Amino acid sequence: MTNSIQELQDAKVIFVIGSDTTEAHPVISYFMKRAVKRGATLIVNDPRKIDLTKWAALHVQHKVGTDIAYINGLINEIFKNGWAREQYLKDCTENPDAIREAVKDYPVEKASEICGVPVETMKKVAKILGEAESASVCYTLGITEHICGTDNVKTLANLQMVLGNIGKYAAGLNPLRGQNNVQGACDMGALPNVFHNYQPVDNPAASEKMAKAWGVPSLPTKPGYKMPTMLRKALDGGTKILYCVGDNTVQTEPNMAHTIKELQALEFFVVCDIFPNLTTPYADVILPDTSWGEEDGTFTNSERRVQRTRRAVNPPGEARSHWWVMQELAKRLGKDLGFTSGNAVWEDMRKTATSYAGITWDRIENIGLQWPCPTLEHPGTAFLHRDGKFTRGKGLFSVTKWIPQAEPPDEEYPIVLSTGRRLWHYHSATQTRNSEGFDNIFGEELLEISPVDALKMDVKTGDLVKATSRRGSIILKAWVTERSAPGVAWCSFHFAESCGNVLTIDRFDTVTETAEYKACAIKIEKIGDGEPLGDGILRQARP
Amino acid sequence: MKVFINGKECEAKQGQTVLQAARDNGVYIPSLCYHPKTGPAGKCRVCVVEVEGMRGLQTSCTVPVKENMKITTNSETVRKAQRLVVDLLLSSGKHDCLACEQNGACELQDAAYMLGIEHPTFSLADTKTDIDDSAEFVYREHAKCIQCGRCIAGCNTTVVNEVLDFGMRGHDTKVICDIDLPMGKSSCVQCGECSQLCPTGSIIDKKTRGKGRHWQFKTVNTTCAYCGVGCQLTLHVDQAANKIVQVTGREVVPNDGMLCVKGRYAYEFPSSENRLKYPMIKKNGEHVRVSWEEALDYTASRIKEIVEKNGPDVFSAFGSGRITNENNYAIQKFTRAVVGTNNVDHCART
Amino acid sequence: MISEFLIKQIESVAGRYPHRGSALLPALDMVQRENGNSLTKEDIACVASLVGVSPSKAYGVASYYTMYNKEKVGKYHLQIDTNIPATLMGAGVILKHLEKKLHIKPGQTTADGLFTLDEVEDLGSCGTCPVMQVNDVYYENLTIEKVDEIIESLKKGIMPPRWDNSHFASQCNILLKNRADASCRMITQYQQKGGYKAFAKAQAMQPSEILELVKYAIVRGRGGAGFPAGMKWSFLPQNNKGPVYLICNADEGEPGTFKDRQIMEYDPHLLIEGILIAAKAIHAKKAFIYIRGEFRWISEILDKAISEAREAGFLSECDIIVHRGEGSYECGEETALIESLEGKRGCPRLKPPFPAVKGLYGCPTIVNNVETLACLPFVLEHGAEEFRKIGVVGNAGPKIFGVSGHVNNPGVYEYPLGTPLKKILEAAGGVKGNFKAVIVGGLSTPILTAKEAETLNMDYDACLKAGTMLGSGGIMVINDTVAIPPIALRTIEFYAHESCGQCTPCREGSVAIKTLIKGLIKGHGTKEDIDKILELCNTIMGTTLCPTGDAFSMPIRAMVQKFRAEFEALVR
Repeated sequence: MTNSIQELQDAKVIFVIGSDTTEAHPVISYFMKRAVKRGATLIVNDPRKIDLTKWAALHVQHKVGTDIAYINGLINEIFKNGWAREQYLKDCTENPDAIREAVKDYPVEKASEICGVPVETMKKVAKILGEAESASVCYTLGITEHICGTDNVKTLANLQMVLGNIGKYAAGLNPLRGQNNVQGACDMGALPNVFHNYQPVDNPAASEKMAKAWGVPSLPTKPGYKMPTMLRKALDGGTKILYCVGDNTVQTEPNMAHTIKELQALEFFVVCDIFPNLTTPYADVILPDTSWGEEDGTFTNSERRVQRTRRAVNPPGEARSHWWVMQELAKRLGKDLGFTSGNAVWEDMRKTATSYAGITWDRIENIGLQWPCPTLEHPGTAFLHRDGKFTRGKGLFSVTKWIPQAEPPDEEYPIVLSTGRRLWHYHSATQTRNSEGFDNIFGEELLEISPVDALKMDVKTGDLVKATSRRGSIILKAWVTERSAPGVAWCSFHFAESCGNVLTIDRFDTVTETAEYKACAIKIEKIGDGEPLGDGILRQARP
Repeated sequence: MKVFINGKECEAKQGQTVLQAARDNGVYIPSLCYHPKTGPAGKCRVCVVEVEGMRGLQTSCTVPVKENMKITTNSETVRKAQRLVVDLLLSSGKHDCLACEQNGACELQDAAYMLGIEHPTFSLADTKTDIDDSAEFVYREHAKCIQCGRCIAGCNTTVVNEVLDFGMRGHDTKVICDIDLPMGKSSCVQCGECSQLCPTGSIIDKKTRGKGRHWQFKTVNTTCAYCGVGCQLTLHVDQAANKIVQVTGREVVPNDGMLCVKGRYAYEFPSSENRLKYPMIKKNGEHVRVSWEEALDYTASRIKEIVEKNGPDVFSAFGSGRITNENNYAIQKFTRAVVGTNNVDHCART
Repeated sequence: MISEFLIKQIESVAGRYPHRGSALLPALDMVQRENGNSLTKEDIACVASLVGVSPSKAYGVASYYTMYNKEKVGKYHLQIDTNIPATLMGAGVILKHLEKKLHIKPGQTTADGLFTLDEVEDLGSCGTCPVMQVNDVYYENLTIEKVDEIIESLKKGIMPPRWDNSHFASQCNILLKNRADASCRMITQYQQKGGYKAFAKAQAMQPSEILELVKYAIVRGRGGAGFPAGMKWSFLPQNNKGPVYLICNADEGEPGTFKDRQIMEYDPHLLIEGILIAAKAIHAKKAFIYIRGEFRWISEILDKAISEAREAGFLSECDIIVHRGEGSYECGEETALIESLEGKRGCPRLKPPFPAVKGLYGCPTIVNNVETLACLPFVLEHGAEEFRKIGVVGNAGPKIFGVSGHVNNPGVYEYPLGTPLKKILEAAGGVKGNFKAVIVGGLSTPILTAKEAETLNMDYDACLKAGTMLGSGGIMVINDTVAIPPIALRTIEFYAHESCGQCTPCREGSVAIKTLIKGLIKGHGTKEDIDKILELCNTIMGTTLCPTGDAFSMPIRAMVQKFRAEFEALVR
C-alpha cells in the first residue's frame, strides 16, 4: 500500500476494485465503511454483488477480466472532461502524453461494450473521481490474478497518476495484501530477482555487498525462477529439489491435478509446515514448524508496518523455528549462518537493509514502524511518494491494452468461474478448520450461481452440483444468490474436499507469473436434489 | 493546564474531559458508558461530579476541562448520585458475580466495589432470563446488560457492521440484532467488537466461558495470524494447559482494537491434535517419525548429492507469506549463500 | 409485502426530506396502514432497505413508538386514555364498561377480530375526557351511552363522525380569536379577517429587525420552559453557511395540555404565518411541524392549509413539511424531537451542543412551540409594545390555559399571563366539589394544595415563587373525592412508560419509584419506603440526561411531601 490503513477513514472517495473487502480484509472494510459514514463516496467495482456494495454509492458490475478496458475508458473520460491534474502530470510524471494518446483507443462507448458497464455509469464514475479532491484506490487479487494482472495494476497506477492521487494523504494505490506477512516475505528477499530490501541480484554492487556481508566468495547473479516455473521445470528435470516452507502447494496452485504431477516428478521434496495437508503426502521429508503463537519474530503488514509476533505457548512435540532448521542444514553443508535467535536473524538482515535499518525489535516493542525507516531516529513512513515525488524520480505511465481471459466460456463450458475467499475461512483452511466453531458456521464449500443461471439449470440452493472444467471436476452444493452475476459462478479454495483449484487454469501473467485464478470456463450439472441450507450459512447475504 | 480535583492541583490537557483528566491523575471516577473508542455518551450517569460554577451535577465524561477548573469527585452529593445509579443498575439485572465470567474484569463490579455497595436496594429485575446462545462465538445475556450502548456504538460506528441497535424503550430497552433476531440468525459476522466493548458480562466470548478466571491467564501481545492488515492483539494464555483461551484486540494502530471473526476466534489451531509434531522421512512410501538429527542429516545429504551432480539451479525453495520475516530471510540466505541459486520465491500471488 | 405503489409513495416521501432517513417513521406508518394496521418484522426489514437504514435501526424505531403495532390488532383499535385528567374525569368507568361489553381486557382482541382494546397514555384531549381513539378518530366527552352508540355503529362497519362540544373562551382574542369559526381554516377567510398582513410586514423587514422586535417583545416559550424566543434565535451562529431549520414543536403530550391543537385545528394559518415570520427572522428555508401522530386529522388540516399557503405564494422562501410523530412523550423534548425527525428513536441528545448550534441533520436549528409561534403575527402586526402591554412585566402576552379535572366546564381559556388562577377556574365553571389540590403547569409540575393555590397568579415567575411552574399551562384540578397516592402511582407509571430508556436514573429510577408506590398501595409498604421515594426523587433530580428525570421526581416528591399522611395511612 502506498498509504496507511487508517487513512482510509478520512478518504473522500474510495474506489474498490477486485477486492471482496468485508470477506478478505474485514478490518480494512471497517475503515472504508467509517469513511462512508463520514460522507465519503464509495465506489465498488466488482463483477459480483459483494457485501461491501451495501455501503456503496455505486456498484459497477463490470465483466470478469475487463478491468483494463473499463479503467482506460475512465481515464479517457477524465482527460476528455479536463479532470486530469495537468500540473501534477507536468511536474511529477515522465510521459503524460503517452497515456493521453493511448487511452484514445478507449472511448467510453467502446470500453462499455467490452466491460458491460453502461456508458452513463462510466461517465458518472469518471465524474466522481475527476471532481474529487482526492481518491483512494484499493485492490486485491481480483486485479492481479489474471493473465493481464501486471497490466491491470499498471492501469490503476495510470488512473491515480492522471488524477494526481499518488503521494497524498488518504489517497494512493493500495493493494490489500492477503497474508499476514506476504509483504515481509517480499521485503526479506524470498523473491528470485532481489535480495531483501529489493536489492537486485543482478546488480553487481548489490551482489558484491551481500557476498561480503554473508561471508561468501560470490553470489549467483542470474535471477532465479518464479514459483510456477520452478514447478513446471520439475517435469523436464530442471527442478529436482523443492524445499517448501508454509505453502500448501497442491491446494493453492491452479489446476490441482497438474500440480500433483509436478510434485511427483521431483527427486527430493521437503515440506515444512504445521499441519498435514494435501501437499504433505508427496514429501520425502516433513519438518514440523512452529506455528503462530509459538515463535518470536516480526511480520510486516500491508501498510509496510513491521510488528512483533510473540511466543505465547510452547510448540507441540519437536516443532522448531525455521531459522533454526536453516542454521542446522547450512552447518551440515559447511556454512555457519550465524543464526542463534530470531532477533539475531533480524539483526543480520537489518545491517544490510536501508529501509529497515532503523527498525529494531526494541523500537517496535509496543507499536510497529512503517518502512522506509532508514535510521534509529526515523519515525517511519506513513505514505510513499509524498507530494508526487516518486521513489524513482518521476512517475512513469505504462500503456496497457485489454486482452480477453485465457479461457473464455464457450458452448461446452459456458460459465465463467471466479474464485476467492470467504470470511469464515482462511486459504487452505488448516488454521480455521482446526479452530473450534468455524465448520459449524460454514462447513462445506458452496458454488454460488446467479438466479438466472440456476433457473436455466433447474438448480436451487442446496442441490448437489458437479462443476467441471477442462482440468477436473468437483461436487458441491449450490447456493443460488444475487451475489453472482448471470454467467458467472464462484467458489473458494478453502475446502480440500471441494477445492476450486481443481478447476482453475494454470495460465499465468507473463511478468509476475500469477495464475488466472479469477477466470476459467466451467460447466455445471445438477446431480441431485438437496435440502435448503440453514440460515447460519446464508446470513452473510444480508436482506 | 492546571485544574483542581478534590482540592488537589492536577495537570490536564487541552481538549480532555474531566473524566480523562481525573484518570490521568489517578483519581477514580466510576464510569460505564464511556469508552475511549465510542466516545462520551453521557448515558449511564455514574460519572457525575461537581464543578464549581456549574449548576447541579455534571457528567465528567462530557465536560471538557478548563483552566483552573475546580472539580469535586467525592462529595456526599456526588457519591449519593453515583451510588444511586450503580444501585439501580444492580437492582435491575441479574448481577451474580460468583458465577459470572467477567468476575474481576467487570466495570460494574469495580464501580460497586469502589462505592461500597454490597446489596442492591431494589428488586427491579425481570424474572425471566433472556439468554441468546444462538451465535457461534458471542454469548449474550440480557439480564447482565446495563444499556450503556457501547456495543451498539461499536457495531455502528467503529466496525460499521450495523447489526446491533436498541429495541423497545424505557425499562424494556434491550440490545437487538437486526429485526430482533437471535444473533446466530442475524446478519452478524461475529467480529466480537461488542464483546470487547461490553463493560459487564452481558456480551462475552462464548468459547472462553468456563476456561478460567481472567487473572489466571498470562497475556501476550502479538500480531494476528491471518490477513495482511496485521491487527494487533492480546493473547490470553492458560499456561498450565499450554493453550490460548481468548484473543482481544489492542487499541493501537492499525486496527484500533477491532478484529474480524478469524482474528478473534480462530485461535485454537496451535494446540490442535492434528499438528505436525515430529520430523518424518518417507520410507517405503510411508512417513516414518525420525529424530531431528536424522531428518537434517538426510536432507542435507540429499541436497548436497543432487546439487553436486546437477548444479545449484535444480534447487528451488518456497518461502512463505505465513512465516516471519526472520524465517523468510533465513530461507533466502540459505538458498543464495549456501546452495548458491536465486531460485527462491513464495506464494505472493495467492 | 409492500406493493409497488407503496414503494413509489415511500420514495416520494423520502424525496421531501433533506435526508432520506427522515422518511423512516412515515414509511413505517404507510406500510402499517396498508397491511391491516400492524407491522411484521419482514415489513420492517423491507422498509429499512427502502429507506436505506439498517434493519436493527428500523426495528429499534418501530419498537420504540407506540403507534406501531407489532402485533395484529382488530379492525377497530379502541384506545382509552387513562392518564391523570382522564382518570379524574371518569375514564375508568368507560374502560370497565368496554371490558364488560366486549369481554376483553386491555391488550386483547375480540374473537371476531373486530375490536382491540388498549389503555393508552395522554391523548392530548384532557379537557374533553373521557376520550377514546378509534383508529384515527377521537371520540371525546364520552359517556357510557355514547360508547354504546359508537360500538353498535362500528359493529355495522360505520365509523361515527367525530364531534366537538368542548368549552373555550378568550379574553385576549389573539390565539383563540378564530376558535369559534371553523371557516378560518380556509385561507380566503383567514385573509379576509386580516391574516397574512403581519407576514407581509415581515417580508418588508430585515431578518435582524424581526429578531430585535421579537426579542424586545419578550415572547417567552410557551411549550413549558418559558425561554424567550428572540433570545433563543440569537444563539444561532453568526456566519453560518449551510442550511438553518425551523421546527415547530406540535408534539403536545404533557398530560393536562391540549392548547396547541386548538390553534392548529381551528386557526392553522395563524400558525403558518407565525412560522413564516420566524423562518424569515432566522434565514430558514425549510420548516417542519412535528405533530404528534394521534392528531392525524389535525395534521391533515395543516397539510391542506399549507398547500393553500403554497398556492398563494407565501411559501416561496420557506417550505413547510408536516411530520407526524408515532407515539412518544419524550419527543416533546426538543433534541429528542430532532432525533425523531431524523428517523431515529426519540432519545434526547447531550447538550451542549444546543440545537441552535447543531440541531437537525447537524445544522443550526430552532425549535419553537406552536403557541409561541402563533404569538408572532400579533407582535409583527401590532408591535412589541402592544404585546408587552398584555400581562405583567417579563411575562407578556396571551396564554392559553387548558383546564381539566374537577371543574364544571373543562376547556381552553385564553388569558393574559399573570391572570389569577382563581379567575381562570371561574371561567371554567368553578371547581366541582371540594377543591383539594391543583397541578397548574402540566403533569411534570409540582402539585399545589388548594390553600397554596388560592392566591396564585398564572405567570412564569409567580408560579416559580409558589414552588411550582407554569409549564404548558395545563391546569388539573383535583377535589377531595380523590386520594393522592393513586394519582402519584398513575403519574409515575406514565413516566416509566415514556422514559426513552437511555439514561439510568430515569429508566430504572422511575421503575423503582413505581414499585415502591405500588407496594404502598397494595398494603405491603413501609414507612422507610416513603423516605426511599423521597430519597430517589431528590437524587434523580438533576442527575438525568434530559429534564424527564426532574419531570417525574418533582411532582412525585411534592405529592409525597404535601400529602404524606395519605401515604403513611397506607402503611399497615
